[in-house]
Amino acid sequence: MKQVTIISEDRLGVVAEICEALAAARVNIESIDAETVGGSAVTKLTVDRYDDALRALAQTPFHAISEEAIVLQLEDKPGELARITRRFKDAKISMRSVRIIRRATGTSIVAISTERTEEAMELVKDVMIS
Amino acid sequence: MAAIVDSPLGAEDQRRLDVLYDGIRHDAQTFIGYPCNPLFDYSPLFRFLSYPVNNVGDPFVVGNYHLNTHDFEREVLEELRRLTRAAADSFWGYVTNGGTEGNMYGIFLGRELFPEGLVYYSEDTHYSVSKILRCLHVRNIMIKSLPDGRIDLDDLRETIKIHRDVPPIIFANIGTTMKGAVDDLDGIRQSLDDLAIPQHYIHADAALSGMVLPFVDDPQPWDFAAGVDSIAISGHKMIGSPIPCGVALAKRSNVDRIARSVEYVGTLDTTLAGSRNGITPLFLWYAFRTVGFEGLRRRVHECFEVADYAIEQFRRIGRDAWRHRNSVTVVFARPLPPIIHKWQLAVHHEVAHIITMPHVTRAMIDELIDDIAQDSPNCAREDDP
Repeated sequence: MKQVTIISEDRLGVVAEICEALAAARVNIESIDAETVGGSAVTKLTVDRYDDALRALAQTPFHAISEEAIVLQLEDKPGELARITRRFKDAKISMRSVRIIRRATGTSIVAISTERTEEAMELVKDVMIS
Repeated sequence: MAAIVDSPLGAEDQRRLDVLYDGIRHDAQTFIGYPCNPLFDYSPLFRFLSYPVNNVGDPFVVGNYHLNTHDFEREVLEELRRLTRAAADSFWGYVTNGGTEGNMYGIFLGRELFPEGLVYYSEDTHYSVSKILRCLHVRNIMIKSLPDGRIDLDDLRETIKIHRDVPPIIFANIGTTMKGAVDDLDGIRQSLDDLAIPQHYIHADAALSGMVLPFVDDPQPWDFAAGVDSIAISGHKMIGSPIPCGVALAKRSNVDRIARSVEYVGTLDTTLAGSRNGITPLFLWYAFRTVGFEGLRRRVHECFEVADYAIEQFRRIGRDAWRHRNSVTVVFARPLPPIIHKWQLAVHHEVAHIITMPHVTRAMIDELIDDIAQDSPNCAREDDP
């Protein structure tokens, strides 16, 4: 069972729209957990057909992130990203990519992919969303 | 000689083409959200469409495929060399399939020069760059943007500082997609100097603004004279073309360095594509000959006037709108979906834009403003009692 994290604006109906998109693709949701982080909605799903779920969500306005990426919640201020990437540098963990997924109400949601995901998760567990 | 067509197109197929043509002609009347200029007449060149013209390979290298337009392509590149203030003795380029190929070429060149390099780009960068970074498998970090769309230099500097042992490959936006913001190249170079990073590469995505800034009196730093190593400019945007096209421009010294590694695999073709469009270089050449630099300068300034007119009209109905200096992108609050659909507006989160390309008239702006005012009854019109 694999996890998909969906980042979107925080408004009514987001979870319903996600469920409708997945139902239309005949994807079963095994578990769902939605929360508000800063001004964004973060929905974590586990599904039975992972690739189909990602494909279906790619057709929606939502930003779906596969479980290969680590999703972090950071303060939206200069140098905050540098503070986190320094941890990777010091631990000699190479990052493949760092992407800002959404910024709202003083919070940045950032996705980091690396080839040593397990170790990387340990490094950033204080700010990790998924 | 064998018949070229075995059977004429059936009535149903012909009808479908007619419907398609009518739809395109109709939708062109409200086409103001994307940076394409449909005002062109390349009909004197249509005879070349009767031949399988193909500009395969490096336009500066003679090949065995003779049905090409390399001579004209080189003349186009020479015009662009002048516009981008590149040194005559260290310049190379080719006509691409569009802005994305030019950006891919720039990042490819940066990565070949610095295989361990890290690409830095702002969150306002065009979505296609994420795709390029994935295709090229190059390490990358997205940097925050300022509210006006420019890259946040503080964030960039702090992030580069952490990785100062790794050559930075800066992807600079010379006119962001949504807001037309020009990244502060002087500030970027100053940051690299302050951090004592001598090895770096700067690519400029000047898709639209690359054919705007050469024609203004006070351009932001953006070109080879401002220190960039490569530039991508679109041809179908300000110049105008029925077929998407663009140019990838680079310093020849850099291209020659990577050409050695290409030669190792048995070819000296340094372009990304194999077969290349041979018609679009003719379109660009024809535009330079018939519109010319003075015509383009006039065109750009007329676009600014329409942009300012649009901003005035938005403000007249109580809506804020703005544009960056030297930009034809007018940014305003995202309107309702029917308006987005009718006017083919590009939207991102809370904002939308129109781009006052040469075909956008004051009458089109008036109609858009009327639509927005009618759908937003709370908008106060200055001329309301």
